[in-house]
Amino acid sequence: MPSTMDLSLSQTTAATFEELALLFPEQELSPEQTVAPLDVTVSVDFRGPFAGRLVLSASACVLPVIASNMLGEAGRRASPLQRDALGEIANVICGNVLPAIAGAEAVFHLNAPRIHDAGESASRDNDAPSAQVQFGVEDGRVLSTLYVFGTVLVRATVA
Amino acid sequence: MAFNVLVVDDSAVMRQMIVRTLKMSGLPLGTVHEAGNGEEGLFVLQDQWVDLLLLDINMPVMNGEEMLRRLRASPETETLPVIVVSTEGSETRLAALHELGAAIVRKPFAPETLRDTIIRVTGVSDAEYYGPVAVADDSGDF
Repeated sequence: MPSTMDLSLSQTTAATFEELALLFPEQELSPEQTVAPLDVTVSVDFRGPFAGRLVLSASACVLPVIASNMLGEAGRRASPLQRDALGEIANVICGNVLPAIAGAEAVFHLNAPRIHDAGESASRDNDAPSAQVQFGVEDGRVLSTLYVFGTVLVRATVA
Repeated sequence: MAFNVLVVDDSAVMRQMIVRTLKMSGLPLGTVHEAGNGEEGLFVLQDQWVDLLLLDINMPVMNGEEMLRRLRASPETETLPVIVVSTEGSETRLAALHELGAAIVRKPFAPETLRDTIIRVTGVSDAEYYGPVAVADDSGDF
């Protein structure tokens, strides 16, 4: 059974892709989506009542569609803009999932999104994900992972 | 009335998205200025006439809340319409921004949400937004 954190991350990730990138993530992945590589990774560090990191990875084939839907045709052509668009999605997921977990009174500070080089790990050593969800998007997939450094009392009730 | 807008956000992608939404909204736009943080935004306001400020909160150098407090402390900008466009979810922080006279649009936002909020805070009229309305001649037969 998924945890409250998993549900919060799942709902927030899906809603952000729908509203910001006009894409509809699918929870059931096709065989092609399942094996699609995760080529690009971005992360957002946060601190507040607890600290941690939101990591978002995506298949390369998804990026032009995201950027194009967010920015128009200019986004489809420019590779740096495509990564920045994924970073902005990670930023919005992070900003929305934290109040869902910690409660609406909690104040968090978010760092700017960071783009990771290919092969570079986005997690700290020995960190296990606190929550993780995967969606099929277009011909690829996205993986959204939340790391909490330390412990957190989950307060939210997921609708 | 065409109004000048200042968009303050550290994300170039989000600034581009907001500007694109503004241009698609049909609102009577003048010049759209951009800044990457609160300090840069204050510099723009020293030199440019701005009718509406769209402001992010989490930014380096000077965050949006600090910029807003400085604006409200200055006679020239104490009544400037401000819309905070942010992922900020803390009710504590949102209440503080409301106290400072800002409207709030949470990211991710639908384009019509931003448009409707702009119409509300700027007071732009339906006539200005949609243009003159043609009145149908009701003398004809149906």
